[in-house]
Amino acid sequence: MKLLAAIRNLFFALFRRAQSENEMREELLAHLKDRADDLVRSGLTRAAAERRARIEFGASEKFKEEIREATGANFFNTLLQDVRFGFRILRKSPGFTAVAILTLALGIGANTAIFSYVDAWLIKPLPYPQADRLMVFLTHDKQRGWTGNNISAADLQDFQKQNSAFDTTVGWWSTNFNLTSDGPPVLVEAGQVSWNFFDVLGVKPIHGRTFSADDDRSGAGHVVIISEGLWRDRFASDPGIINRSVRIDDELYTVIGVMPGTFQFTLMGIANMWTPLALTDQQLANRGTEWLSAFGRLKPGATQQQAGAEGATIFSRLEKEYPKTNTNLTLLFSSMTAEVGKNEGVPQVMICFWIVGLILLIACANVANLMMARATRRSREFVVRRTLGAGKGRLIRQLLAESLVLFFFGGIAGTLFGAWGMHWIQTSIPDKIRGYLVNFGEVKLDFVTLSFTLALTMGCAIIFGLAPALEGSRFDLSSTLKETSSQSTGSRGGGRLRRILVGAEIALAVIVLISTTLLVRSFILSVSSNAGFNSANLTIAQLDLPKTRYAHPADMRNFNDAVIARLRTLPQVVSVGAASGVPFGGYGQIVVIAAVGKPPQKSGEELGARMSSVSADYLATMQMQLLQGRAINSSDGPNAPPSVVISETLAKLFWANENPVGQKLQFGADKNIATVVGVVKDIKMYNLRSRPERQLYVPFSQFPTPTMGFVVRTQGKAPAIAAGVRDEIWSVDRDQPMSSVEQLDNLMAITDTGNRMLTKLMVFFGLLATFLGAIGIYGLISQMVSQRIHEIGIRVALGASPRQVMRMVLREGLKLALIGITLGVLLSLAVTRSLAFALYGVQPTDLVTFVGVPALFTMVAIAACYIPAQRAMRVDPMVALRYE
Amino acid sequence: MNQAQILPGNLDLLILKAVSLGPLHGYGVLLRIEQISNGALNIEQGALYPALYRLVRQGLLKANWGTSDNNRRAKFYELTAAGRKRLRQEETDWNRLVTAIGSALAARPEET
Repeated sequence: MKLLAAIRNLFFALFRRAQSENEMREELLAHLKDRADDLVRSGLTRAAAERRARIEFGASEKFKEEIREATGANFFNTLLQDVRFGFRILRKSPGFTAVAILTLALGIGANTAIFSYVDAWLIKPLPYPQADRLMVFLTHDKQRGWTGNNISAADLQDFQKQNSAFDTTVGWWSTNFNLTSDGPPVLVEAGQVSWNFFDVLGVKPIHGRTFSADDDRSGAGHVVIISEGLWRDRFASDPGIINRSVRIDDELYTVIGVMPGTFQFTLMGIANMWTPLALTDQQLANRGTEWLSAFGRLKPGATQQQAGAEGATIFSRLEKEYPKTNTNLTLLFSSMTAEVGKNEGVPQVMICFWIVGLILLIACANVANLMMARATRRSREFVVRRTLGAGKGRLIRQLLAESLVLFFFGGIAGTLFGAWGMHWIQTSIPDKIRGYLVNFGEVKLDFVTLSFTLALTMGCAIIFGLAPALEGSRFDLSSTLKETSSQSTGSRGGGRLRRILVGAEIALAVIVLISTTLLVRSFILSVSSNAGFNSANLTIAQLDLPKTRYAHPADMRNFNDAVIARLRTLPQVVSVGAASGVPFGGYGQIVVIAAVGKPPQKSGEELGARMSSVSADYLATMQMQLLQGRAINSSDGPNAPPSVVISETLAKLFWANENPVGQKLQFGADKNIATVVGVVKDIKMYNLRSRPERQLYVPFSQFPTPTMGFVVRTQGKAPAIAAGVRDEIWSVDRDQPMSSVEQLDNLMAITDTGNRMLTKLMVFFGLLATFLGAIGIYGLISQMVSQRIHEIGIRVALGASPRQVMRMVLREGLKLALIGITLGVLLSLAVTRSLAFALYGVQPTDLVTFVGVPALFTMVAIAACYIPAQRAMRVDPMVALRYE
Repeated sequence: MNQAQILPGNLDLLILKAVSLGPLHGYGVLLRIEQISNGALNIEQGALYPALYRLVRQGLLKANWGTSDNNRRAKFYELTAAGRKRLRQEETDWNRLVTAIGSALAARPEET
């Protein structure tokens, strides 16, 4: 019924508006004529009768308005009128309109851009059918409380056989393949997967087929599925690619399928080749090594709880059966969406999301404040309109319509700004980490994001439009008209609301500025922190020697020595070294350690350390700081007694009160024992923000590994060095690909991308909040000065000096600013704790920040008040008093 | 002239009553009310119209364009079924109220 009535009204409003208006006019006119006729009959002249009739009738405009109100048909009618009027009003004050729209555009745009990432990474389902049914398997150590995403092949197989929640389970792990056919050798990111990997995800190849169960048997013919990108770049989109043979790790593989470029499995990172796991019986029997990652799709009707219960039951059975490997081990499940989320910059995005939310509040408070200032200036207009019969509701509606128009344009400008922001964020993501981001870090201004922006804009328009609307309709009829001048004193009540708005705005701006300052300071501290080595002019080439050609330690040693010798001959090269684990690249391996001659650690509480096999000049090339003893050098030959250099943290752990040099350290699964010959400073291996860790370096000649990174230090920048390094390595082995040849500085920057981008955004948001806060207080004080020109004129006439006037204005502004700043600081103390996880080197209650930001903001507030204060100072009493 | 001021709610009742005696245009309603109240009630003439429009919207009156006695096009109002029902209801309520207040005012001190 209501809907029908609404539709009827709409029709009425749109098509019969003019007609109904005319009819109403005609009816009222007929009344006046009838009445006048009667009065003439009673003896009055025609003119007097008409006049009398009009007087008796009363305020006809008011009644017309009441009639329009009463019929309700008015709604759309007046809405259109209001919107049109809103346009006119906004056009008439371009300065106000421009500031308001710019403010809103920045606030709304920032929210649009950040929301597009929240949507892409937290809200949108993964691009697989029924993605919410995909569960990632997590192994959990009940005693230590560790949760990992790796499981042993034997455990996975047992779970698969005994559970009823999943039809099948999928195991996978990431690896790299040396592709040597069809061009120069390249290292291709790859995944080894169970045969049903693609089918369980629910994705289809664009050419060929996915794996069959037969492909996944140990000893089956080698087959490979490649990505569309690899097919295009390496094989020139060869239409005959299916069944073609390619050489991978020195073996021939048959291409059976091509996956579309849109296919992505972010948990694996970038992958351009997939082969079946084809687990051997030996691998299948291995329960001790947890090396596979696994997931599965819940059967129809099965729930995550059910899977969890089965995981617990099956693993407690395994625990009893295999106490040696499975004690305390259990299996948990987590939705794939949640696991992918953990890999993305989700915490960073959420920080941004909160910050931009605050910024939008500041921007809206600002605009509401501006609108209220204008409402005060327009008070006479409103009073006149009310006297002429406009209802209170009518005025509120009109002011709301004005704010809707304003926010609408703000929303459009904001969407454009947001689209630009999205583009900026997208292009700032380095290619190397795109593979780990959903949809490769790309976001679109799609329906969801646009809806969000629209809802946000309209919501804010109504909430923040209401205050000025109420303010505008509040003016008391008699008192405002009686006050011959609206300038003599500000209206107290409205002034208070505006003060509260501006105070809150300043408090919010201070919270934003403190939060962003903490994050920016963390970033500066982390990049300027001592990594333990000198990364300038250092190039790293990483590679993996294939077991097929480098089976013996001597082969690896020879390759290593030959490459180092060749690299030394390159121009500009100062020093060359090699290590199995290089910072921000290989990372080395974690080994169990023990001090010989000390009581051994209890089982299950073994200590680990990061081990790297290094060449003679590695520590010197990295310019790591030697604290005691000597570095690994050429005296540590293959047949010399084993020696080890340890890091400061490791030295303190075992030999805090003794000289570590000369002590014996046991390490690794083989329980090797080596003599400590030196102590170096800790270095950061994978993250500028990592904590100090135990590290040890052994001679490559004694402990060779197939994984290695060559480090080359040059004299100054050497642009051609990467190509030179590549050529020299190929001159030793022309089939040996490199996973990367990169400046160490770049590797470090890539690792720090999330924080770097967060920092850039934070600098921008911090400036924005400060700017908006300054506009807020400037607007308020400026308005105050305009309103009190009259009063100031009297003060000056009575002998107040310009100085006193200025001080009065500044005091007014500063009082408000200080209340806002104090409030902001107190609130910040409560909220910055939740930022702790993103901070480095600063406490959430960092004194420098908590003193510096309020001080800075006070100065900004003074500067913002200074301009209106100057104006107040120059008030000429003659002009001010004459001015109505 | 000694006239009583009308409360807004009562105006609706008077309009319904006036119209119940036969279809009327706006000015006619005014005259009819003056006539049936013997000129004892003072109505702001313009206020009649918002009330008429409101009653139409509530479905208590319906309006049709016709020609008035002096050959002017005029809008005539008449009661709908709902309007008639409402009028009866309001009349009963009003009478009950008047009786109650009348007897309250007629009370003498010794009777309390």
